[in-house]
Amino acid sequence: MKATDSLYRRLITWLLLPLLGLGALMLMQAYRSAHDAADRAYDRLLEAASLAIAEQVKWQDAQLWLDLPPAALEMLATDAEERVFYALYDNHGRFITGNADLPALPGGDDSLRFADTRWHDMTLRVGVRPARLDSWSQRERFEVRVAHTREGRDQLTWSLFTGSASRIALMALLAIAVVLLAIRIALAPLTRLRRAIRHRDPRTLAPLDLPLPRELAELRETLNELLARMRRVRANQERFIGDASHQLRTPLAGLSARAELALRQPEPAAWRSALETIQASSARTARLAVQLLSLTRLNNPEATPAPATLDLVAVARNATRDAFAACHRAGIALDLDAPDAIVALAGIDWQLEEALNNLIDNARRYGAHHVTVRVKADPPRLQVEDDGPGIPAEKRLLMLRPFHRGAETGDGSGLGLAIVDSIARGHGARLTLDDSRHGRGLCVTMTFQGDRE
Amino acid sequence: MSLVAALLATVLLALSPLESAFAQSRLDFPARAGRPGEPLVINGALDTPLIAPLLEDFHHRNPDLALRYNNLTTLAIYRDFLDDDVTPRPDVVLSSAMPWQYRLANDGHAQPLASEAARRWPAWARWRHELFAFTFEPVVIVYRRELAERFGAVTSHADLVDLLTGHRRALRGRVVTYDPATSGAGYTYAIEEARLSPRYWELVNALGGVDTVLAGTTRDMLEGLADGRYLIGYNLLGSYARDFVREHPELEIAVPDDYALVTQRLAFIPRDAPHPMAARRFLDYLLGEAGQRAISELTTLGAIHPALDGPGTANALRQRLGDALRPIRIGPGLLATLDRLKREALLTRWTREFQRGTIAADTRDETSP
Repeated sequence: MKATDSLYRRLITWLLLPLLGLGALMLMQAYRSAHDAADRAYDRLLEAASLAIAEQVKWQDAQLWLDLPPAALEMLATDAEERVFYALYDNHGRFITGNADLPALPGGDDSLRFADTRWHDMTLRVGVRPARLDSWSQRERFEVRVAHTREGRDQLTWSLFTGSASRIALMALLAIAVVLLAIRIALAPLTRLRRAIRHRDPRTLAPLDLPLPRELAELRETLNELLARMRRVRANQERFIGDASHQLRTPLAGLSARAELALRQPEPAAWRSALETIQASSARTARLAVQLLSLTRLNNPEATPAPATLDLVAVARNATRDAFAACHRAGIALDLDAPDAIVALAGIDWQLEEALNNLIDNARRYGAHHVTVRVKADPPRLQVEDDGPGIPAEKRLLMLRPFHRGAETGDGSGLGLAIVDSIARGHGARLTLDDSRHGRGLCVTMTFQGDRE
Repeated sequence: MSLVAALLATVLLALSPLESAFAQSRLDFPARAGRPGEPLVINGALDTPLIAPLLEDFHHRNPDLALRYNNLTTLAIYRDFLDDDVTPRPDVVLSSAMPWQYRLANDGHAQPLASEAARRWPAWARWRHELFAFTFEPVVIVYRRELAERFGAVTSHADLVDLLTGHRRALRGRVVTYDPATSGAGYTYAIEEARLSPRYWELVNALGGVDTVLAGTTRDMLEGLADGRYLIGYNLLGSYARDFVREHPELEIAVPDDYALVTQRLAFIPRDAPHPMAARRFLDYLLGEAGQRAISELTTLGAIHPALDGPGTANALRQRLGDALRPIRIGPGLLATLDRLKREALLTRWTREFQRGTIAADTRDETSP
């Protein structure tokens, strides 16, 4: 597991980060509620002090009169020794008495109001009590404003906050422990799977068999499908190697027997005839070897060359030119039927030429007299049509397997169509075998899909 | 705020200063070591003979500091402090006018002192580590020995009321006390006593009954007692009286044993002090054991330090008088003392009670045989 990208790390990050964010949110909330609780508690002091002062306000000598009770001021200062301010205002907002000109607070007419204000570089909590004289003759309104600094409130806020913060911290620790444990438990089957794979015999392709949770069971099934495909591929390869060695052994044994027979005969004429036979046979064997090699190369996914843009018409023209001499010698008519325009395609030109060569060669070997190579656009197609014996529809799929010859006559190797099939698959083309339009014969079409440029 | 200041100024002008007769003197102590620099400026309301020994002791221990002590009235200290044009700004402010000192600190003019001595200072004698009480001065009764010989010793307020009501004719015009209307100290004592006991008004009544002379300063009262004009003086500042009585054996001091007000001098370092480091050293000295010992031994001001219990300390006084001592609390209650309406209300009542005593005495005199 690399540190940069580990499932464990990813899970921890995505679980713990939101958890931390949540914790921070809770801390902020805890601070706010501690602050509010402290303000509520201490605002009672402002309330009581302003009431004690308001009760002493009288009407005397045609003005508001206050016999300030010292206890009202004393109760505003707690153990935190707050600074204390008070003031009395009449109904026009005129300052009557006090030790500070405290600001008025906006708000309702008759309700007690509290607010934090800045005053001379200090933060004050101000309480404003609107009231009115309650005598027979005078109903004068007035306002008592009291204030103190926030030290006591801040101390209470802090002690409430540290209390809840320690509880939150404890919960956070528990949550982190639970998350770590949960991740470890949840990831345990992954470790089991890794161990199971690591401890397998590297040569075996047997399916994995261990109990896993659903998500990993899907992975296990996929792995098992891959293994099954590899088993099939390996079986194909083994059969191919067996077939190839058999195919090579037969002509070699024939060569050896023919040479031995010729050596027993004294006249050179017999030797010559034997040598001619041997030459023809070894040429066929060499061609077989070449075909085997190209089939192996085509089937090797590691060695696929990069496709380049090519012109199908040029490819068909090249292939026809190469095969023309051989066909002419065998008395076969070879036609090319291609549009004038370029048919562009991403592909590998020598592979496509090889495929065409194989198809023309097949037609020639299995007794056709007339072979037509066609190029069509929309979608791009390569087509080889002959008037030979053809292949019955039910056998056509079998023909694509290596070493499967349609007829035991003829001198084909049985690899031609297999090679064409490989090339078609490599190009993502569909290979179809149909009856020829002449009634007899075979029509092989490679239809290229999609990526036209 | 200017409105408040204006109102306050009128209050202050009305509260006449405590020690006006001794104002405007100055003491200078040049630095004896180190580079000569600007002096540490101390503004105080404390007569130079009382504070000089203390300053000498401090200067002796800190020879590198130059000192300047300005002796001002409590009113001048307050007024100069709030007037930014007055220079040099003080580094330390000492004053016995507790409400005004408290008000300056409450308004945020003082800076906190975070030294060891300040931390250890008893909570009842400080406020917020900004304002520190450094003396302990009971308010006392002083009388002439012949009064005690004729009528017996006076040791409590109850004795005093009995004396005043029982010997009205003999004492008429021979009793003296502070005039609360013209003296800040007298007003402060009156407001505190009125809070302490409702019987205070009985005493005011009795004082009115003997046509008590109202004086402006402790010094005036002591001099009147010394030259025989008065027989008994009520509510004199103990620290001055102790000093004065030493040279006047015909006078006797009584600290009332039912309750005795205790006033304290308050010190603070202004927020804008030009030499805060030196100021802290001075305040540390005042609150430290050395300074407090000097206060108890060299002056009559009374030391507070809990570790000291010799003569001239708060502890010694406490042992003698116990719960009767009532130090004026350093708290927001002091702000009420400065309230304009409160002052008017108290003085109105005081005058009313005082005059009612006078009238009652006159009518009784007319009807008596």
